[in-house]
Amino acid sequence: MRRAILSAAVVLVLGALATVALSQKPWLARSDVVQPIPFSHRIHAGLHQIPCQYCHEYARRSLTSGVPPVERCVGCHGLLAQKGALAPITRPWTDHKRSALEIRWNRVYTLPDFVRFAHFPHIHAGIACQSCHGPVETMDRVVPVYAIDMGFCLNCHSQKGASIDCVTCHY
Amino acid sequence: MAQEVSRRSFLKLAAAAGAAATVPGCHPAARHLVPYVVPDENVTPGLPSFYATTCAECPAGCAVVARVREGRVTKLEGNPIDPIGAGALCARGQAALQELYNPDRLAAPRRREADGRSTPLSWQTALGEFNAQMKAAAAAGKDRVLYIGQPQGPTLRKITEAWLRAYNSQRLIAFEAINYQALTDAAQRCFNRQDRPVYQLDAAEVIVSFGADFLETYLSPVEYTRQFAAFRAPRATGAQTAMGLALYVGPRMNLTAANSDEWIAARPGTEGAVAMAVLRAVVDAGALGSSSGLDATALRQFTTGYEPEAIAKHSGVPAAAIRRIAQRLGQARGAVALAAADDLTGQVAAMLLNAVTGNLGGTMKFIDAPDLTRASSRGEVAAAIKAMHDGAVDVLVVAGVNPVFALPPELATVQAMRRVKLVVWAGWVPDETAEFAHLMLPIDHPLESWDDVAPRPGVARLRQPVTRRVFDSLALGDLLLESVALAGASPPPVAWKDTQEALKAAWREIQTRVAPSTSFDEFWTKALSEGGIFAEPKTASVTISPNALGEAPKLDAPAEESLALASFPHIFLYDGRGADKPWLQEVPEPVAQIVWDNWAEIHPDTARRLNVEQGQVVEIASRHGRLAVAAHLSPRLHPQAIAIPIGQGHLAYGRYASGRGANPWQVLPAGRLVAAVEVRPTERRVKLVSPLAPPSMLEQPVVKALSLDELRRGVVPQETEPYPEPYEMYDPYTYPKHEWGMTIDLNACTGCSACVAACYAENNVPVVGKELVAEGRIMSWIRIERYWPETPEAPLMMKMPMLCQQCGHAPCEPVCPVFAAYRTDEGLNGQVYNRCVGTRYCSNNCPYKVRRFNWYKPEWPHPLQLQLNPDVSVRGAGVMEKCTFCIQRIRFAEMQALTGQQPLVDGTIVPACAQACPARAITFGDMKQATSAMMSRRKLHALRNYRALDEDLNTQPGIVYLRGIYREHGEV
Repeated sequence: MRRAILSAAVVLVLGALATVALSQKPWLARSDVVQPIPFSHRIHAGLHQIPCQYCHEYARRSLTSGVPPVERCVGCHGLLAQKGALAPITRPWTDHKRSALEIRWNRVYTLPDFVRFAHFPHIHAGIACQSCHGPVETMDRVVPVYAIDMGFCLNCHSQKGASIDCVTCHY
Repeated sequence: MAQEVSRRSFLKLAAAAGAAATVPGCHPAARHLVPYVVPDENVTPGLPSFYATTCAECPAGCAVVARVREGRVTKLEGNPIDPIGAGALCARGQAALQELYNPDRLAAPRRREADGRSTPLSWQTALGEFNAQMKAAAAAGKDRVLYIGQPQGPTLRKITEAWLRAYNSQRLIAFEAINYQALTDAAQRCFNRQDRPVYQLDAAEVIVSFGADFLETYLSPVEYTRQFAAFRAPRATGAQTAMGLALYVGPRMNLTAANSDEWIAARPGTEGAVAMAVLRAVVDAGALGSSSGLDATALRQFTTGYEPEAIAKHSGVPAAAIRRIAQRLGQARGAVALAAADDLTGQVAAMLLNAVTGNLGGTMKFIDAPDLTRASSRGEVAAAIKAMHDGAVDVLVVAGVNPVFALPPELATVQAMRRVKLVVWAGWVPDETAEFAHLMLPIDHPLESWDDVAPRPGVARLRQPVTRRVFDSLALGDLLLESVALAGASPPPVAWKDTQEALKAAWREIQTRVAPSTSFDEFWTKALSEGGIFAEPKTASVTISPNALGEAPKLDAPAEESLALASFPHIFLYDGRGADKPWLQEVPEPVAQIVWDNWAEIHPDTARRLNVEQGQVVEIASRHGRLAVAAHLSPRLHPQAIAIPIGQGHLAYGRYASGRGANPWQVLPAGRLVAAVEVRPTERRVKLVSPLAPPSMLEQPVVKALSLDELRRGVVPQETEPYPEPYEMYDPYTYPKHEWGMTIDLNACTGCSACVAACYAENNVPVVGKELVAEGRIMSWIRIERYWPETPEAPLMMKMPMLCQQCGHAPCEPVCPVFAAYRTDEGLNGQVYNRCVGTRYCSNNCPYKVRRFNWYKPEWPHPLQLQLNPDVSVRGAGVMEKCTFCIQRIRFAEMQALTGQQPLVDGTIVPACAQACPARAITFGDMKQATSAMMSRRKLHALRNYRALDEDLNTQPGIVYLRGIYREHGEV
């Protein structure tokens, strides 16, 4: 009898673990991502009204929207931020003995390998960035608003009369 | 009982354990985004950039365009502005990427220790050792440094010469195992020229090849395949439809012979004698062109001993056939004779034939420009090896070539190398020569290098790095220039800092010559973006040299009664350099259809006499050496010939090459691919593997042809009974925008398999290896189906590119239980990989067998995975995959059209197979657009249209084949 209870317990624990692991859906956007720099979209895109594509410049012509190069940060912050939190990023521009700092951002949005998504047709169709990414301009730390799964894509594609053929995205 | 785990709880446990086991499999994708610090303005992440450069896989030098994604090159395609390749690229060119990303490439300099092992060392130490020995060699006397490398472009040659001079030496060998010396020697003799002729096959009505396999490897196969397809295209001349007549004389039915109208079997080594006999017969028939400048008496005297009757006995070619060839050549308006690369007699006879039939300057011409790339002659190579034997060489540098593998055994290259104090090997994948080197240096691959190339007179090409270095390598030119600087001569012998500077200096000279009015920067940018300068070279006017008809060449074929080895460069492995590339190993050799191996082709009658069976290992011994290789019985061979492809038999050269087959260079004499041999069966057996299923079409004619006569009369042969009436159970599909289709001209297709390699490259198709090919698990989405005809009135070889037919009534679709195989809105049979659960019903139901199932997780050993196309999913184990006409290209073009970047017009989308095809046999387009090139091609050749197996199965394929055309026997 004890063994039966034991085995039941093992089953329950393993089952619970598996459920937790599987329910994470690693291909979905994650809400727990913390960046190495406390960069605020609210200040940049909200308060200062910088257009999204000023930094994510490839969105209108490429598959990926692109993460801005460090140079882009320095372009605005420039020499103002010689001291303080931004110094490690901007100082290599004036002090050539310092090596440039690579920023390893943590990914919030990702798609599984079998989905081929291109940003540029969506930008050209006039889809606002917020339609998928939510009101990023109000967020200090980016968290996903929508679960971007196939249902999410298909809803919009059906409403707008875009192709819902499987090979539009899967090949 | 309570102590036992019940069946039910066991199952629960098992299920939970199974679920737990899957958890680690779902690891998240890369979770970091690392942007550039300063962006590269030439890189748009997510979009490809294209760079023009020049292919380095064979001496032809086709211009290519490299597709680069995020800094790594993923595909090579022909450059359309290049008159040599004209936008096509052969399988070998496609596979250059697998040398660049080869997992066995030397990653860092290594030194050979006394016990034979090699240990890594830093570049600084390696170059220090190298230069110290160089200085010692220079101090010891003149010519104590020997360089053996590939025939180089003008700039690298200049650098190498300057480097040798700095170390008091002039020993430079430009080594090409198949070096066309016979061709230049014959040109020297006949026309007093030092360069090679250029052939214009599409200007001919008749082509006679005496052993020149110009559709596989001879001189410039991409160019000649394109010209041959044009030559074979039916054309209206006057009232009648005409088609070029091709005849092939040689011991083996190779790709060129199989695409000709007649293959005339000759004993190995006698092709040249047959050519001389044909010359004799042309003279005897009085078909001498008036403009040739040769008189009949002198020619008769020259060809004494080569009378057709005499040669018939010698070669096994009937005198009547020789006279027929002569008659065809003499009567044609535009004819060309070609001869084998190693056959001086044949080359002399072929050149004289072209001259006496008035085709000099037409089908065969010389270019009025200096030849800047010259391979060293056999004599020069032999002298260099002898110098090593004599102890006259202290430092030997071997760069990018493999003399230990490809030099004839009589030179005893290995023993010679043992007498050299320091042997330096510089290259990519360590080969047999590297095994005997003291120092191994990794050098940049041509795709990582600055260089210029002059593959033929009047052609100037550039090579530029199209990707960052994959390994810790150095450019060969930079390495040599650094060594020059260390020699410490003052003033320094060269002014250049690195190869790029030397290149620019050389091209500044070219600019002052060809474009003096433009600025150099403008000229350089244009040349770099186009891959060189592309101007029509001037044809030289040549006359027959008075020495041409001097002493007639002697018969040099093996004795008449003996068996003779007729080895030939493998279409993909060439002289052996292709063997380390898995695509080239896995794509079947188009005629024998064998993969991952080489073999000795033996005629069945001979095999019976020798008591040899298929797959039995035979020992082949010549005067020069011996080897053991598996027998492959083939009736498409002269009974006295033993044919072995060159290229396998590597003892080193990476995991893909080593330990496969035998190396025929071991039994060959210097400068000839023919040798008298003895053959002895052994007890061993090797399974020769071919992915080809049945040898015959089983009365289901999937490849169809018609005769030229039928074409002229406008009748189509009926191979099968017509299907009553197409039966429709459901409403027909409608395609709102496009319905993609393809037209494939089987008369143009030669079977060269460039499309197959291109598909591997574009679509991330995995390579499975010999054992799995034997189990029928080859993954190629497109293959060349090859059948031998069963009736005498048929083409010599029936072949077709077989890929997914994108059926309108697809048998695969209704059987898929999960809707993974389905009909797309644009007329394709889509395959949704993430939906597929691997029942394989679709493949079972596919009559064309073009669906491929991943039985195992595909693997790309690092860094081969860097070649993968990021626009195509990499399929995992348990997933069915197939051709969808390069849907990634279709989708990209559609998205570009949707966003107004580029209109979607006919020709915008070119699938990888159609792009690569040298014969331009494949056209892709929209079936709803009647004016598309693809539909026009169908309409133009309406009589030849057919859909594979459609009349029996009513599959309604989206691919229309155009029947091949053959000549009936009486017409040849």
